[in-house]
Amino acid sequence: MSALDDVRDAIPEPAKDLKLNLQAVLAADGALSPAQRWGTAVAAAIASRNPRLRAAILAEARAQVDGAVVDDAIAAAALMGMNNVYYRFRHLIGRASYTDKPARLRMNRIAKPAASKVDFELYCLAVSAINGCATCLQAHETVVLNGGLTEEHVHDAVRLASVVHGAAVALDLTEPTP
Amino acid sequence: MLTIGDKFPAFRLKAAVSLEKGKEFADVSDQDHPGKWKVIFFWPKDFTFVCPTEIATFGKKNRDFNDRDAQVLGVSTDNEFVHVAWRKNHPDLKDLPFPMVSDIKHELSRALGILHPEEGVAMRATFIVDPQGVIRFVSVTDLSVGRNVDDVLRVLDALQTDELCPCNWQQGQPTLQVA
Repeated sequence: MSALDDVRDAIPEPAKDLKLNLQAVLAADGALSPAQRWGTAVAAAIASRNPRLRAAILAEARAQVDGAVVDDAIAAAALMGMNNVYYRFRHLIGRASYTDKPARLRMNRIAKPAASKVDFELYCLAVSAINGCATCLQAHETVVLNGGLTEEHVHDAVRLASVVHGAAVALDLTEPTP
Repeated sequence: MLTIGDKFPAFRLKAAVSLEKGKEFADVSDQDHPGKWKVIFFWPKDFTFVCPTEIATFGKKNRDFNDRDAQVLGVSTDNEFVHVAWRKNHPDLKDLPFPMVSDIKHELSRALGILHPEEGVAMRATFIVDPQGVIRFVSVTDLSVGRNVDDVLRVLDALQTDELCPCNWQQGQPTLQVA
């Protein structure tokens, strides 16, 4: 049995809906290509911060898709972990004097991902949905659609991110309390 | 002297790359390290006083340059055998992690316009060259003035750092381009 099956079984009974949803969104149907699906799953799992779910999804993704896709997903999760906080601050404060200051933050991988650029943007979008930055969501959605993907791709990616996050919350319940 | 926006001249030169017997020398050219930034710095003469300090500092910071996808090259108009001899002679230079390049024919220094008019050796010049081979930063000091490696690193950081995330888009901006 794979680590992912173990994780699914570890989701407690009251959260059984998440167990079934996780199986459904990771299955090969819908608009997403395998790279898009597993890249989004990895990025969402990292952003959701449950170590067990993260390890299981990373292992499964490495078995399913190219290493460059997994690396891009890791980069997207980490970079949006930074950018969602930073740009959300800018947007929420909404004062031009902050917006005019240079961020002086490296984010070079956004411009040069190892695999697909538009897929990378999709991972960024999924992470932004989890981290909750409206302007980042709007900006990345625009890029994803301009890059040739459809609203179906966006919707499936966000569904996937939502379920992964919910599963992470459910799995946190199973962690031993100190 | 060449300046920012100019193409860094093509070169193929001998370099001292190791103290291991039989592996001391290698050719170094502008075509090596495709896709990388280059930090190319010159010093006037081997076996002089100011030089080893700053060369050793470039060596200590080599990892920081590598982290930024940059290859460091040190150059003087001495020949490659003198470079090896100096490295053997000076404890701070023994483990130098980047090539010591020999511009023995002065061609590169002349093309860059950094030959000292009286001394006939390279001035203490530093160039940061982007992956497209374009000079993005240049500094040159008089023969006896040392340079600050941290500042070179700071400039490289600034050149590479841009707000590339669509999160930063302002209304009316169509796209952001790769730096």
